[in-house]
Amino acid sequence: MTTLPLALRHGLAVDFALLVISFKRRAAYRTQWLVGSLVSGTELLTALALWSAVLAERGQVGGYDWDAMRTYYVIAFVTAAVAFGGTEGIAAQRILDGMVAIDLLKPVDFQRARAAEYTGSILGNLPTLGIGLTVSALFLDPLPPASFAAGALSVASVLLIIPLAFGLMFLSIMLCFWTRSYHGVLWSRRTITAFFSGAMIPLALMPDAVQAVAAWLPFVHITTTPSNIYLGRVDTMEAIGLVALEVAWCVALWLLGRVLWSRAVKVVTVHGG
Amino acid sequence: MAVRPRHMASTYARLIWAQFRAITEYPADFWTMAATGLILQAVQIAFIAVVFANVTSLGGWGFHAMLMLMGFMVIADAVTEVGWDGIWTVGQRIITGDIDYKITRPMPVMMQVGASAIGMQAAANLTTGSIMIAVGWTGAGVSAALIPAALLLLACAVVVQLTVITALCCTAFWMKGPSVTFAFLGAQIQENATRFPLQIYPRFVRGALTWVVPFAFVNFVPVSILTGELPLWWLAFPPLMAAVLLVATTLIARAGIARYESAGH
Repeated sequence: MTTLPLALRHGLAVDFALLVISFKRRAAYRTQWLVGSLVSGTELLTALALWSAVLAERGQVGGYDWDAMRTYYVIAFVTAAVAFGGTEGIAAQRILDGMVAIDLLKPVDFQRARAAEYTGSILGNLPTLGIGLTVSALFLDPLPPASFAAGALSVASVLLIIPLAFGLMFLSIMLCFWTRSYHGVLWSRRTITAFFSGAMIPLALMPDAVQAVAAWLPFVHITTTPSNIYLGRVDTMEAIGLVALEVAWCVALWLLGRVLWSRAVKVVTVHGG
Repeated sequence: MAVRPRHMASTYARLIWAQFRAITEYPADFWTMAATGLILQAVQIAFIAVVFANVTSLGGWGFHAMLMLMGFMVIADAVTEVGWDGIWTVGQRIITGDIDYKITRPMPVMMQVGASAIGMQAAANLTTGSIMIAVGWTGAGVSAALIPAALLLLACAVVVQLTVITALCCTAFWMKGPSVTFAFLGAQIQENATRFPLQIYPRFVRGALTWVVPFAFVNFVPVSILTGELPLWWLAFPPLMAAVLLVATTLIARAGIARYESAGH
């Protein structure tokens, strides 16, 4: 009865230590905050310039007028900062250079340790998010949430992006056991995620078939779900259902990651081992 | 006088060939990167298609002119990926002192660094970029008589792409850290901003992208000339800009190498 809480406490302490180390590592590179803010800010401003030109001609597209579209891309900025803000190259590099063999010797679960590090690195990205949100609130005048429930559920949906994005990232770094280069895998995943999440362009503007496919993929919860909830494009019950589905995807991706890890680790070959 | 350029060209070709042989040793990586290139371009085309499913023109540009715009950017980028992708490693090489080794060899340092890697996604990008230009060209009704002009503009676009990125990478000689932050930032801004006609941006953004960090000369200016948005006498500007950037980048690289202090820099 007493060993379980102790083991649990020890596990959480390890998670927290890894999270703090990763946060500090990320926070140490202050130039990256500036660059991250500038890159994300450019993406946001480019999207706004594009839709400003389009909406000047059409008035509204896919149910988005200028106010809603502006708010949509501010939400997309936030969700992208969370979904793409984590550090993943280090974990991938450990597999590529064989250091994963050392990880196998440690009394720490590999997947859980990487999850703690990933979360820490996302928290280290908070200044970028803070700068972007402050500038957006001051100059872009985004709409308020459709209701209190919509606001609360959209925040829950954004927070769930952390385990969701980790699940996707972990699956992709598993591919490093079979390929020498992680860049291709990283770029492909990010591009597909940006497209099917709606971060690049609202899914409501895409053909019905693409929307139907996207609805069955986990990426949709990265931008479309929180923005639909926030803007009141779904009612409260639908919003709860979407958040529940997002939770289900987090669990499914975690379990899938576990299965892949158990298989991938068998192909580790280090220094003739 | 002719020996040095010939020697440089021959050594450069050998370096790139060595890289090519190295990447063909890892076919899985090659196909991963080729597939990545295809995915990136497919998503970009899908993006434009979705936009044009909702509007007839963007800043006065139609779908086919937009395809040409993207095609020029993709090809200019792909050519630099084939022959100059190593430039992205210059920050790491400065930090580790690897430039020491390059300095001792009888070839320009930046050329050795540039030729030290090949971007394997370039194969797919060259193919898709060519298709984009061909389809865009036909759809926009651009005259075949402009093909020589297009080839000149494409050559200038490659020089502009290569020199701007190299100049931005060279800031690593003055900044601490292994990553080429400004080059990364420049490339991201280019990819985000210049895939659309510059008319959709405020005047100062247009001015900055044309005359300060002249990414507009990679795709916007060439396509504007070919589609008649700009008069033909604008053909004089891209070669001039390419020449100015070549000289400026050479001077920046030389100043950077002069500042280089070996390992522990």
